[in-house]
Amino acid sequence: MFTTFRQAMAWLHTWFGLVLGFVLMAAFFFGALSVFDREFDRWAIPATRIEPQPMPSYERVLRPAFERMQPTRAAVDAMRGQVDGPMPARFDTVAYWSAYTTHRDPVVALFAGYEVPNARHAGEQIYAEATVDPRDGRVLPDDRLKVGSGFFYPMHYGLTLDWKNLGIWIVGFSALVMLAALVSGVVMHRRLFREFFTFRPGKARLRSALDLHNLTGVVALPFHFFFALTGLLIFAATYYFPLGHTQLHELHDRAAAIEAQQTGLPHQRAGVAAGLADVDAMVAQARQRWEDKGKAGDVGFLVLMHVGDANGYVSVYRAGTDRIALVGDGIHFKASSGELIREDPPATAVARMAEFLTGLHLQHFRHWLLRWLYVLGGLAGAVCIATGFVFFVEKRKRQHAARGSQGARVVDALAVASVTGMALATLGILVANRLLPEDLAARGDWEQRAFWTTWVLALLHAAWRSAPVALGLPNPAWREQAWAISALAIAAAVLNWATTGDHLLRTLASGYWPVAGVDLALLAVSAIAGLVAHRLRLRSRVRAAQAHAAEPRHA
Amino acid sequence: MHEPAGAMWLLAGAVACAFAGMAWLALSMPAHARQVWGGEPPPARLRLLRPAGAAGLAASLLLCLRVDHATIAVLVWLMALSAAAMAVAMLLATRPHWLRVAVPWLRGRAADGS
Amino acid sequence: MALAHAPAPASAPASQQDHPRLALVARIGAAVLGGYGFAWGLVAAATSLLVAAGMGFHDAEFLASLVGVLAMLCAFLWAIAARRLWRVWAVLAGGGALLAGVGSLVQAVLG
Repeated sequence: MFTTFRQAMAWLHTWFGLVLGFVLMAAFFFGALSVFDREFDRWAIPATRIEPQPMPSYERVLRPAFERMQPTRAAVDAMRGQVDGPMPARFDTVAYWSAYTTHRDPVVALFAGYEVPNARHAGEQIYAEATVDPRDGRVLPDDRLKVGSGFFYPMHYGLTLDWKNLGIWIVGFSALVMLAALVSGVVMHRRLFREFFTFRPGKARLRSALDLHNLTGVVALPFHFFFALTGLLIFAATYYFPLGHTQLHELHDRAAAIEAQQTGLPHQRAGVAAGLADVDAMVAQARQRWEDKGKAGDVGFLVLMHVGDANGYVSVYRAGTDRIALVGDGIHFKASSGELIREDPPATAVARMAEFLTGLHLQHFRHWLLRWLYVLGGLAGAVCIATGFVFFVEKRKRQHAARGSQGARVVDALAVASVTGMALATLGILVANRLLPEDLAARGDWEQRAFWTTWVLALLHAAWRSAPVALGLPNPAWREQAWAISALAIAAAVLNWATTGDHLLRTLASGYWPVAGVDLALLAVSAIAGLVAHRLRLRSRVRAAQAHAAEPRHA
Repeated sequence: MHEPAGAMWLLAGAVACAFAGMAWLALSMPAHARQVWGGEPPPARLRLLRPAGAAGLAASLLLCLRVDHATIAVLVWLMALSAAAMAVAMLLATRPHWLRVAVPWLRGRAADGS
Repeated sequence: MALAHAPAPASAPASQQDHPRLALVARIGAAVLGGYGFAWGLVAAATSLLVAAGMGFHDAEFLASLVGVLAMLCAFLWAIAARRLWRVWAVLAGGGALLAGVGSLVQAVLG
């Protein structure tokens, strides 16, 4: 198809980069926001604006909360079809209770799985979740949409397209194309080292767009490559290459059985009732053991398996706040007696590599500079893709205008929608979050509708205003949407003040950074968008003056 | 991890070293040297900037390693390098003469070789 | 950076130039489907061979998936750049099937 390797790579980079670039914009932008997902949650759910706490006491806080948990009515109804017989009023055979917290979570997330009696499939489980205030065990309203961790984050890895995991596949393919675009980009970029620091904003749009595209791509090349790669790895064994449950399921099942034997952690209930020893004492013992190994730390994850059964055991995992690896160093105790069953041995070399690669992406570590540098990298990636779109359109719009093609116009409209449109949609959900009535039923659904509606409106606006592109001229939608971003960002910050009383002076004074940070970011976005809009308007005025001067005089 | 205040200064130092290193590497290239000083400094001076730049980047890594566990430190360093390179490129594009502060020992127009 | 114009290089079969759209679809199909099939086969062979060599299943699964992702990237790039499309299909589809076969064989032997 192509005469040289470089030509082939250029074609690949251009066309696959263009088509998948729209998906990648979302992955990079919402990925950058997801670095501070829990901070967005605090902003969006004012009831949770409290300081992060370490994992609270089991006896005082967690047990009462666990005992009160039950699956939601919706979950029970969904399970009805899988059961031969009546559904119980209460699910009391607890497969597991678990509690999870991080150094950024002021609330504790509780999860429970219950055995379903008379289920058609053996081992069928039904689940429940709750969010509690760690200071007193008070259950917090769970029906609030966690705009950060419950929306921006799933948006980033799956576009919230859950049907048959289609979104995860689309983002996965776009990540592969990202890797291909990076390799092909390097192959195409002949003067990589000489132009490492080159950005010439004064030059023609085509050249300066390419300069910026190359700069943001090359300067953060390791970041872009590793994030695409580690992102793929996180889902690879489960979604993209699920051999363990398909072609190689025999190998998998055999390994699971052996593991159960070796670890001494029972897979199933014994069917014999038994009590529960002092869990807080077990946790204290675990923390002591970590400290003895030179790894003092906080509890990140607490699991109680087969609750109320003789085979029950309690697992305590260490939060990985000071290193890349996630929760680990699990220590397991027999539930009925509190005696130690097992201390997880040091991980194998491969397991350590896996923990490192996935932990690098998932960022559970406590390091504010590194988090902000990650945001910078994500935004650099977004700028790289956006300038790619601009370059594509600039390069072709005059030729397309000359032959009456709409191609450049279509791409430009889509580019506006995926750059400024996406930012507008994000601001739209934040504004809706503050404006909607507190007690509105299915409030989270309405917030999401606000997001998608704003995006569709941005797309329609971009399409409507893009007619000049078909004549070889710039699309005014860029400037107009930049103004809209500037306005909406301020509105969101002001609405936070108006609806919660937590204005910037107060949050800065009390040092409550999650909310102060989001408000400051909103103000910064507003300022930058306003500046960009202003510059674009000046440029269009200059161009209009030039066009006017060049017009032949009419009779 | 070290106590927060000390760590902050060390990390600030690491970022500063990364910036200096990247600035020196950039200015060792004649095209960028011209942007910053208007003329081209003698090649001897420029040649020194390259190893100086590398040293700056190495110093940055050492400072990062003083603050964190090795795995995190290397990541912080790599990301700091990207940020520093971006900052230097943006300065070269908008206010190139500001970068003279990174090489204070080279003054004035370089045509006279001083 | 234009594609090679007609006259077609002597090496390209006449059919490719007659139906450029079809050739493009076939090329992309080879890159995406062929690349995925090859990667799947490689993951199958690598996982089972690593387990046979004594590695734990989850470790083998992870390492193999890393190799699989990188292999798919290489297969993808090669499929786009390669001169002859039939060679791409032969290597990716054929090789993938062969590797998948190795994976199942080793699993059966270990059982």
